[in-house]
Amino acid sequence: MTHHLPRRDAFKLAGGALAGAWLLTGCGGSGGGSSAIDYWGAFPTPETEEYFRTHFIDTFNESSERQVKMTTKQLTNLASQTDTAVSSGNAPDIIYSPGPTTTVSYAQGNRTIPLDDYADQYGWNDRLLPWAQQLSRVEDAMQSVPTSYGSLVMYYNRAVFEENGWTPPTTKAEFEALCEDADSKGIIPVGAGNSGYPAQSEWYLSCVLNAAVGPQNLYEILTGDRDWNDAAVVDALETMKSQIDKGWWGGGAERWFTNTDPDMCTGIANGDVAMYMSGTWSFSSMGTFFTDSGNDPQDWDWAPLPSLAEGVEPGVFPMAIGTALSISSDSSDPDTAAAFLDHLVGDTSRSLGYLAEQGENPPPVAYGADDFPEGIDPRAQRLYEEIPASDNIGYASWTFLPPQTNTALYTEFDGVITGDMSPSAYADFLKTSFEQELGAGGLPTPFTPQ
Amino acid sequence: MSVAVTGTGGAVRPPRPPARRRGPNRRLTGLLFLAPLLIVNVLVIAGPAMMSVAYSFTDWDGINTPDFVGTANYEALVGDPAFHRALGHNLVWTLFFLTVPMGMGLLGAYLLSRVRRGRTLFRIAFFIPYVVATVVSAAVWRQILSPDAGIGPALASFGVPWVGDVNALGDPDLALGAIAMINNWQWWGFLVMLFLTAMQSVNPSLYEAARLDGAGRFREFWHVTLPGIRPTLVFLFLMTIIWSFLVFDFVYILTQGGPAGSTDMLSTLLYRTAFSESRAGVASAVGVVMAVISAVTIAGYLVLRRRLRWEV
Repeated sequence: MTHHLPRRDAFKLAGGALAGAWLLTGCGGSGGGSSAIDYWGAFPTPETEEYFRTHFIDTFNESSERQVKMTTKQLTNLASQTDTAVSSGNAPDIIYSPGPTTTVSYAQGNRTIPLDDYADQYGWNDRLLPWAQQLSRVEDAMQSVPTSYGSLVMYYNRAVFEENGWTPPTTKAEFEALCEDADSKGIIPVGAGNSGYPAQSEWYLSCVLNAAVGPQNLYEILTGDRDWNDAAVVDALETMKSQIDKGWWGGGAERWFTNTDPDMCTGIANGDVAMYMSGTWSFSSMGTFFTDSGNDPQDWDWAPLPSLAEGVEPGVFPMAIGTALSISSDSSDPDTAAAFLDHLVGDTSRSLGYLAEQGENPPPVAYGADDFPEGIDPRAQRLYEEIPASDNIGYASWTFLPPQTNTALYTEFDGVITGDMSPSAYADFLKTSFEQELGAGGLPTPFTPQ
Repeated sequence: MSVAVTGTGGAVRPPRPPARRRGPNRRLTGLLFLAPLLIVNVLVIAGPAMMSVAYSFTDWDGINTPDFVGTANYEALVGDPAFHRALGHNLVWTLFFLTVPMGMGLLGAYLLSRVRRGRTLFRIAFFIPYVVATVVSAAVWRQILSPDAGIGPALASFGVPWVGDVNALGDPDLALGAIAMINNWQWWGFLVMLFLTAMQSVNPSLYEAARLDGAGRFREFWHVTLPGIRPTLVFLFLMTIIWSFLVFDFVYILTQGGPAGSTDMLSTLLYRTAFSESRAGVASAVGVVMAVISAVTIAGYLVLRRRLRWEV
């Protein structure tokens, strides 16, 4: 059947098509012409989003002439969506980075503006912890404000430790003794695995490198003064490999690729896993694994990482920036954007309230004991009191390594686990990759050992 | 259909259908109907495709202004063991899907074509996996194959030997096969439906003639069924090759290319190179290689079709 369109209808159709095309192209924009400041946020739960909106967005908008408009994105793809928006020139006014590596890339492409004048105006340099200040700089200009940070620690179950007469290890000898004892009792000594999230391996590698190679040596590696295939690195990897082969990490190589992070957290709760080296992001969820498995959520606890080699001080805290925010060079109102950044990091009670209520990591500023609100989990309070007071600060791989080397760190390590690649060959691979990226420039500047 | 015959003995043209208005106005209408899709295709497919080819000759990091690097990205791929490994996995995957699901689909359709009662029930049962979302299928299979709570330990608890220690998705030697079987579980029922539909269009008198000539079931299948469904068969062979080089979803959800790269495909390599390593230029080169493979496949098909005079 044929249907003949009158000329008038044909014009209507053409008009509709044009309007549709305009709508399609309009969807890609970020609303640059809007009078509000655009901010993209991502949250683990709707409750966290609601808390942030009420306590950070609404409170700012009530006190400011210009408004901040928050668009909620998915936590898993906020970084890639931001990359796409920045590269296409449609970035929001406030640009999210998951760490300094991305910040450097944005700054070198002149996608963000220097923040030094705003830092002076709002006193950010006095407020941020020294290592965080250094990380915020790209080629001598402050380019981002870190709004959340965390670290890697060793989780354990207090009840299980008491039952077995264990105390959190601080030295390599204590660590190995505990592992042997746990293994002999059928308990997996150290939780590990990367099923569902291959990058999980870098959590454990960051712990081992900081605890066995040490922050000073890592700093020299990250600045190119020491090679990745240095004896300290190869020794640490060989030790870890031998421990994996003994089944100490995650139950062994054959289980590594099947274990998930929730499996290991549940293992801690059930007493099937003795220790688990993971990020402080699990503070907000660890209690849930205990409750869900019928255990007391007050039983989980954390300890700083033990020393895993002679000459490395115990208790290193590898630093990880969770969120760093910059101001887009295309922003129509950088002053308001800077005021909002100050709103995010400038009020310690608001930041610590967010930590207390939602378990979200606070900005890297020094907190006094009186700053913590009533009802905060004492385990979280202890972490954010100990880190600023510590002079044993290390480096989390995803915050300090350039992208290609960082990806190789966890993808190629699979080969070490299976035995297809020796630890020294793996270290050589990292050396080659890192040297390429070091030569190309664009690496974040690691803070000097504290 | 009746044909008018004139008294002079020559057949003349059949009666003309009622005259339709032709001309520029009609063509304009057609173009206007096509325009929205054309615009979308140019914006979403052709534009990015051309940009990908251009970016494959640059050192683009996905954010900043790229610099032209000539063929360096392609040279890097030639010497990259990860690329070789991923390409090899795609070839194995293609071989598997050209044989196992195709064979199962043909056999299933042939057997189903003989079923007289309950055929609809079988059709539904075969087709259900295809309409289940990939992410759901993957989650279910992850549980089924779990070495802690899956079918292996369950069977082992009944005394079945060996299966209790099988870690299908966590063992580099088994993972690729395991994912292929999971994908096949979803796919083969769809093939059954397509083949069955094609088989039902084969002229029944051909089977009757074959039987009169003494052909058995196998000869019937080989000499009547297969030639009869050749257009469908050839089309699915072609699409299987193309789809096998684009496979991503099950692999990404179940293993993301691991363990130890044992399930890495060109698509997962591309994704990781672009979004984890920030080497969008190299990732574009991988994408161009994938497109070239598809183009060569289609060209080969077109050549065969012309030379063998296939009516597909």
